[in-house]
Amino acid sequence: MKKLLIITLISCSSFVYSQGNCLMYEEGSNERKACELAYEGKTLKQGSRESQEMFDSILKINPNYAWAYMEKSVAYLKRGLITEGLELLDKAVELDPRYNLTYRAYWHFQNRNYKLCVRDLERYYKLPNAFIYEMSPGGDKDMRILLGMSYAKLGDLEKGIKTVENCLKSYKREADFGLVDYHVLGMLYVKNKQYKKALEIFDKQLKITEDYPDSYYYMGLAYKALNKPKEAKAHFEKAKDKFLESYHIRNGYLCYKVYYSDVTDEIEALTDKL
Amino acid sequence: MKTKITYLYVLMVSFIIFSCTSKKETKTEKKPEYLADIGDTKYTPTIDDANFKFCDSTTVLHKRARVAYTGGTPAMEKELIASYEKKPEFESFTGYFFIRFAVNCKNESGRFRWEIVDDEFKAKVCPKALEDEIITKVKNLKSWNSPIYKGEIHDGYTFLIVKIENGNILRS
Repeated sequence: MKKLLIITLISCSSFVYSQGNCLMYEEGSNERKACELAYEGKTLKQGSRESQEMFDSILKINPNYAWAYMEKSVAYLKRGLITEGLELLDKAVELDPRYNLTYRAYWHFQNRNYKLCVRDLERYYKLPNAFIYEMSPGGDKDMRILLGMSYAKLGDLEKGIKTVENCLKSYKREADFGLVDYHVLGMLYVKNKQYKKALEIFDKQLKITEDYPDSYYYMGLAYKALNKPKEAKAHFEKAKDKFLESYHIRNGYLCYKVYYSDVTDEIEALTDKL
Repeated sequence: MKTKITYLYVLMVSFIIFSCTSKKETKTEKKPEYLADIGDTKYTPTIDDANFKFCDSTTVLHKRARVAYTGGTPAMEKELIASYEKKPEFESFTGYFFIRFAVNCKNESGRFRWEIVDDEFKAKVCPKALEDEIITKVKNLKSWNSPIYKGEIHDGYTFLIVKIENGNILRS
């Protein structure tokens, strides 16, 4: 079921970030020609000279093609060329905020600029035609979860928790939950010292997947704070095992990330006390 | 006579207008010049270490996540923060350093390039001493691991973001 969910989410995100249906443009129009050229160039390697020149040709035909600006920005942003990448992405947002604001917010989140991420996402969700279930580009997280984490990183944990809680409440079925949704909420509860609530949520997370060392680490922290060192150590050990089995949360997970050394430090500290 | 002068005058004005228009068109037509890949960094003798060489310059990867640091990001940040020597004049700076560089198949780093931006991600000038301090300390990080891709060791480009608030480096 979870595999099906991931495939669906990735397919949806591919659709959202695709160049659109060329048939919706009038035959012979510049919009149609630019769109068709974009389809032809899909096989070019991202960031290659040929690819960038193709985008230039497309934009020469249709200078208002938001998708082409967005797509051209990707190679710059992935390679750390922040000002050139954002200049292109800003243009895409200006032309079509509905389809590009969340993508820019995602990059702001990745680049640890939580202020700009919040600004873009607050603007997005105020749009009259905003999609409620807008996913991150990898299709693994609802953008409201990134918004919640950004509030938390800016110091407003309560608002972050409320945002994630409301997001999860909006899901209609258990199958709607992503692989890290409960994990993020549990992690924010731990950060906000709501340890019992955190453990309840992590129980739900473990029903989604038992593979992420990060979840066991935060459970360990909760048990430690509740003065249950044996349970804490058992969970840190479990986190360590998962790391050694090469499990970790992938894609765009920079906020409060857990590292192997965090886990081993906790085990060492508890070993001295037990 | 008056007609002749008027004729000459019109001819001259037309010539000037034509020249200006042609110049403008030439400027608009100029195509941007791209390297083989966005982010490729050519060797520049005045700023680059001559000892840094790619093992195979034809297959340098642009896959940031493949370049790792021994001990992970926490170890890298710990080392960077420990070596950073903050001065009072740095406290006026809040912003980000986006530092791009390459790691070759021998775990050596080189070809450093960087952008400094404010908290709106707009280009920003920072105190020269701070810029020198950050770049020197990043160049001094020595525990980079060459990227491994499809079972083979490669050269590769990567970048790191140094986030600074009031002159202090923030952990990620």
